[in-house]
Amino acid sequence: MLAIDKQNPPREWIESLRRQFPCEREIDRVLQGKLARRGGPGYKPIALATLCSGLQALLRAELREPFEVLEPQWLAGGASKLQMAFKLSWQRPGAGRTVTPMVLRMEPAESIVETSRLREFQLIKAMQGVVPVPEAYWADPLGKYLPYPAIVYGFVDGAAKPKASVSNVTGLGINFGPAARGPLGRQYVEHLAAIHTFDWRGAELSAFDVPQSGAQSVEWMLNWWARIWREDANEEIPLLRLAEAWLRRNAPPIDRLSLVHGDYRAGNFLYSEDDLRITAWLDWELAWIGDRHADLAYMSLHTLGHYSEDGGTYLQQGLMPMEAFLEAYEKCSGLPVDRAKFRYYRAFHAYRGAIIMIATGYRAARGAKTHQDLLLAWAMGLGYVLLDELREVLEQVG
Amino acid sequence: MDMRPAFQLQTVIKAMTDVVLPAVDPANKLAQEQAQLVVGMLSLLLQRLPLQYRYDRDELQRYLQLARELSAVRGGAQTQAALADLSAGAAAGAGVLQRAAADPAELEAAVLELRAKVGELIGAANADGEPASLPGLQRSVLAAAKVQTARERAWLAPTGFEADPKSITPIERQLSSD
Repeated sequence: MLAIDKQNPPREWIESLRRQFPCEREIDRVLQGKLARRGGPGYKPIALATLCSGLQALLRAELREPFEVLEPQWLAGGASKLQMAFKLSWQRPGAGRTVTPMVLRMEPAESIVETSRLREFQLIKAMQGVVPVPEAYWADPLGKYLPYPAIVYGFVDGAAKPKASVSNVTGLGINFGPAARGPLGRQYVEHLAAIHTFDWRGAELSAFDVPQSGAQSVEWMLNWWARIWREDANEEIPLLRLAEAWLRRNAPPIDRLSLVHGDYRAGNFLYSEDDLRITAWLDWELAWIGDRHADLAYMSLHTLGHYSEDGGTYLQQGLMPMEAFLEAYEKCSGLPVDRAKFRYYRAFHAYRGAIIMIATGYRAARGAKTHQDLLLAWAMGLGYVLLDELREVLEQVG
Repeated sequence: MDMRPAFQLQTVIKAMTDVVLPAVDPANKLAQEQAQLVVGMLSLLLQRLPLQYRYDRDELQRYLQLARELSAVRGGAQTQAALADLSAGAAAGAGVLQRAAADPAELEAAVLELRAKVGELIGAANADGEPASLPGLQRSVLAAAKVQTARERAWLAPTGFEADPKSITPIERQLSSD
């Protein structure tokens, strides 16, 4: 790992990684883009005015009628993308002249998760009417109009956590409070079941490759993250190499290809504190077509929860115990939960999480590529907790 | 463990420069000046940190040289006592200098090198190693990882990602048990 200057990756090395770790075409494109930009300048603060002028260029290409961008302001939250809230005064098809609150979501020069805006845009569009999502309006997937690739979607009212609560920087360990757990937990399960039983074959998801049945989806998924590990890691972590070998040896065949959200957790949904209704699911950027057990196992990561007030029960996602989740999910989706696959994907998520936090977080911040390098550095603390969780899982499975 | 001072300082300086400094009230001159000094001091620290150990070693070496030269001084009881003190101090210092042979950068590089080679062996053994040797390899790597991640978690526990921080053995205690 030491021989390559990863801040200025040579072309032949990039090609060798592509050959060694084939993955979906859109992911391959995004990862190549990341490495091509790596030797370039870091992220420099972008003025709201610059963002607005890029947005206006995008809107001019998309809209025939006059429009006006109003009240632009930065949004906080999340560790990966820049977000600007604004209002658009426009001639909305079917509604006439109207003012619509929207969000511009744009990548920095490099991100803690390097993903495709096109995939995210297509998915949010596909999920309309399936689960609560913002309305997806426009995409600039290659950064033709904006400084970096971006999407525009509707602003949704709601909070990711109770106003009075305190959580760590990435929104992990949110305590919703005892009264909210039941209603939010029910919706949480219902929405996951809806995502997993969604007929994705009929949706416009051209940025996704459809794997053959069997274990091809798992192979692509492992290649995706094994490649990122090599692209981004500073120091080798033998445990991750061991985990990669174990995951490849034990890749389970898939009984049914589902849409997998990929980051289905508390902190990635908004809800109304008044009526405890989930108003939107966000952050679809890590989704793929694969095994539903991946989303289920992700919820089981120890880092994504907290103990109940009496200290006796561990609440996954701050909502309910894991067994209760799985029972409710089986009932709601009609899909069985295979415990061996569940354990497999728990190992996978600890592996993936450690790569994101320790390798990509480090690399992006080291290259000064984001708008919040300090947050990425801080969040590396989570990576080592995940690493230890991975070790525990591997010890259990033998 | 990748969370090292040079990396940490770089991200702090960028946050100060890109986000905090532009937001400091221009009318508050003291706050403006102090914020700029914070950036200046951190930048100085970032620049000098890689040299700090070498600087100290160089200084110790020069003081040992000076002590040797000063041993030629002659005098009464007070001077002789001071010379004896200096001689004892120089002997202790020489021992420290001898033990402080490697530069921290060399130490870090050696760790990186061994990490990489262990990783390569794991990859190779899983490709064409004797199947009988794989369980032993897995046991050894997992056992080593247990000790390593315990240290890493303790080192970074103040970042607040531990669900039960009290269960973490403090890093001072882990390192002193070596």
